[in-house]
Amino acid sequence: MPFLSHGSYRIRYELDGPAGAPAYVLVNGLTQYSELWAAYREALLARGFRVATFDLLGQGASDKPTLFINQDDQVAALHLLIGELGDGPIFLSGISFGGLIALRYAIEHGDRISGLVPMSCFAELTPQLLLLGNALRTGLILGGTGYLQDLLLPMNLSDQWLKPLLDKLDSVKRQGWLVNDVYALQNLMESFLDFQPLTPRLSAISVPTMILNGEFDFLTPRHLHETLRVEIPNSSLVIIPRAYHAFTLEKGVLTADLLARFADDVLAGRWQGNQAVWIAPEEAGGELTPFPAGYDHLRAIPVRAAPP
Amino acid sequence: MSRFLGPLDSEGRVPPHQQTRVAAFLISAHGALARQFAMALPMRIEAAWQTELNAQFYRESEIVSLLQRTASWVPDMALGYMAASWETAWFPKPIEGITNLPLALPIDLAMLAHAVHAGIRPAALLPLGANANDPFVFALRRIEFESGRLLQAQILFLKGESLVPFRDTVNAALEQRHAEVRRLWAEALESAGVTT
Repeated sequence: MPFLSHGSYRIRYELDGPAGAPAYVLVNGLTQYSELWAAYREALLARGFRVATFDLLGQGASDKPTLFINQDDQVAALHLLIGELGDGPIFLSGISFGGLIALRYAIEHGDRISGLVPMSCFAELTPQLLLLGNALRTGLILGGTGYLQDLLLPMNLSDQWLKPLLDKLDSVKRQGWLVNDVYALQNLMESFLDFQPLTPRLSAISVPTMILNGEFDFLTPRHLHETLRVEIPNSSLVIIPRAYHAFTLEKGVLTADLLARFADDVLAGRWQGNQAVWIAPEEAGGELTPFPAGYDHLRAIPVRAAPP
Repeated sequence: MSRFLGPLDSEGRVPPHQQTRVAAFLISAHGALARQFAMALPMRIEAAWQTELNAQFYRESEIVSLLQRTASWVPDMALGYMAASWETAWFPKPIEGITNLPLALPIDLAMLAHAVHAGIRPAALLPLGANANDPFVFALRRIEFESGRLLQAQILFLKGESLVPFRDTVNAALEQRHAEVRRLWAEALESAGVTT
């Protein structure tokens, strides 16, 4: 198991695929760990990419600082990992908390990457997100990691995904519960206590950016992604049908296909962000369709958009 | 070597020699915390925050009592010298950079408690087949759960406003305390056939 050193801390990472190939770097969500990208690793390797994953500070097999985890240190850890990848094209993607770290990286080191894919992401803490985050933190404090998982699973995954697993949820939760510690998760959550909104800095992201948002994501709903679409010049927003916040777990084949196609399009010079809004196909390989003209993509019911 | 306790017997119970080692270590650590909280607890509570000392003292005592009554104890010749090394490690330690003793002592106690409550996860040693109705298995789960709650007092204190001027000092000393407690815990487990 290889490690990078950031000060006195060790960052566990995994890197596969041929040197020189375009690389994808995938950044975990808050309660995740590197192994959850296994299906992506396989799919992207088969499409000719290198794949790098890692555990953020405070997660999995990386060191867990005892009192404070600064988001700057997460960006620095990511920078160390990207430094291992050489000069080939690098695509960066992250989900939720990991998407935020990816956004920060793109703002600060945009010249090192060829494309960015924030997923289920946000640039600021709206009152809803702030209060949800506080409630989740209280849940963690009072009920431990298992209770936090109990809250997150039904919030972030569909009935279709959950139903066949209802009598096996303990085994679904077990690995995440084993590798994540209460104090470390709490430190990760508390790294938002001095959070400054990224919105004013998003326009500094000049690389092609594909923003992925689940149709039914209510933890980080559409308008949070809309901020990214409006502020990042060369971006598109892609809505994943019937998906919730954790669609990377639920729709891995489709999401990996979208990641690969995005990178292929960028490398072939076909990518045009145009701040467009698209609907992803239901299955991998299907066509993306433009969001119907004249309708408001921020609404759940078909409301005609206000004229520009 | 396995990363979990076991092999379990046919009824999903942890082998008695492992129960003895694990329980002895936890009793030593939580017992030391109970003693130190007892020393810090005034006869009459004058400030609201001191109620937390009372809570911590009784919870630590409860954990010791629970382990004494749930573990299957067997003779263990190595426990003598192991316990001596554990007990020595729990002694209060000076904190480099904090010379004010009335401040240093509670910080040191909070750091030891943080390291024990955050760094030791006995329930995470239980394999999938562990019998949820076995008293020792239940005790390990309860101790881990209670540790997560007890930890909050240490987090509040160590991250609190009063220690902001000493943040780097406290942070460095706490990392050392964690490393020491983790090492002792890992050695105790390794001696019982469990790798961490």
